Amino acid sequence: MTQFEGCPGSRMVDLRDESSQEEITGKVKSQLKQWPIQMHLISPTAPYYQGANVLLTADCVAYALGGFHPEYLKGKAIAIACPKLDEGQEEYIEKVKSWLEDAKINTLTVLIMQVPCCMGLLHLAQQAAQASQRKVPIKAIVVGIKGDILSEQWV
Amino acid sequence: MEDYLNKNIKEILNQFPEIAGVLNDYNIGCVPCQAGSCLLKDIVEIHNLPLEEEQVLMARIAGVLYPGRETKIPRIIRKTGVAIRETSYSPPMKKLVDEHTLIKRMVALIPAMIDSLDLESEAGRQVIRDGIDFIRSYADKYHHAKEEEILFKFFDDNLSIIKTMHEDHETARAHVRAILKALDEKDKEGVSEHLKAYGELLSEHITKEDGILYPWMDRNLSITQVGELFARFNEKEQAFGTLPGKYEGLIENLEEKIIGNRLKEAVK
Repeated sequence: MTQFEGCPGSRMVDLRDESSQEEITGKVKSQLKQWPIQMHLISPTAPYYQGANVLLTADCVAYALGGFHPEYLKGKAIAIACPKLDEGQEEYIEKVKSWLEDAKINTLTVLIMQVPCCMGLLHLAQQAAQASQRKVPIKAIVVGIKGDILSEQWV
Repeated sequence: MEDYLNKNIKEILNQFPEIAGVLNDYNIGCVPCQAGSCLLKDIVEIHNLPLEEEQVLMARIAGVLYPGRETKIPRIIRKTGVAIRETSYSPPMKKLVDEHTLIKRMVALIPAMIDSLDLESEAGRQVIRDGIDFIRSYADKYHHAKEEEILFKFFDDNLSIIKTMHEDHETARAHVRAILKALDEKDKEGVSEHLKAYGELLSEHITKEDGILYPWMDRNLSITQVGELFARFNEKEQAFGTLPGKYEGLIENLEEKIIGNRLKEAVK
């Protein structure tokens, strides 16, 4: 019988021994083209969402993914949320639905961490998509806590 | 070896039949292809093998082209990075793959249609006309049109793989015209010959698309293009309305008529 190790989302992991082979050279340019970004604060019909490729990302992703700005954020509009700790997430479903129907976004990419609680963000996006008359391609990308991409699937 | 990279596969296989065995070892299904016009370098790039496997493949091909000689193995320039993780078809590509399912049901009926071919009775001729109606309206106007009028436009028309797909579509249309002519003339042999050829062509064509072309296209489409493709396919589908459902019903009827009758005959 395995010992219960607690919630994977908040379990302590020490990664200091992981040596980084790469040297970071040069400044990485920010690809953020909007404000606000937190899901409770955004207006889904803001101009930068109109017809856009939208990135709905869990709060922790940008810290785990070294290349977040150039590889994932570039060219996209964004919103961030925590499916475990944020309150009032019914509003999130309505906002995603509004992206689809009012802002008529082009695609939705949902970026989440590998921890089980993060899956809630994808479920939220899927709920909104099911309730919406208008459909768009939705991609789900799961990021490991070491910054590796564990899966990338069209939903 | 650069010269051979820019030659079409049919020429290479005609000159060096041994290469067929090498390609088969890597599940590169070019050998039975009727067109064979894809360039060797494009074939290697499209199949997106891991780099080490690609090097071994190229070394084996070089061994056939230049036996007993040491040859410099060129690297195939990839337009996208090597895939390091599995991804599913994008939603627009999945629509095309799903449509193939119905087309494959039609193709699967062809041997039985040929076996039970009856051009003397109106009922017998109607079976062929129904099959042609499906091929022209669903397979061609609905499915191939999405490919030619929308999907292929996202890529360079001069790419050998795109040209091959266009050629396959044209050859399929020629077979359909020949079937209708033979039907009018009550030419049983003509109908059989072109039905069989159509079935073989479509089987091979669908295998190429599902296994190679669509995954390659997905690797080369940006996320913006995937969204645009999805929206334009939706518009096309809305224009067709309930017709796809009608053709699903037509296939079910044909299956009932053709296979159903054979079962009844077998039981008698």
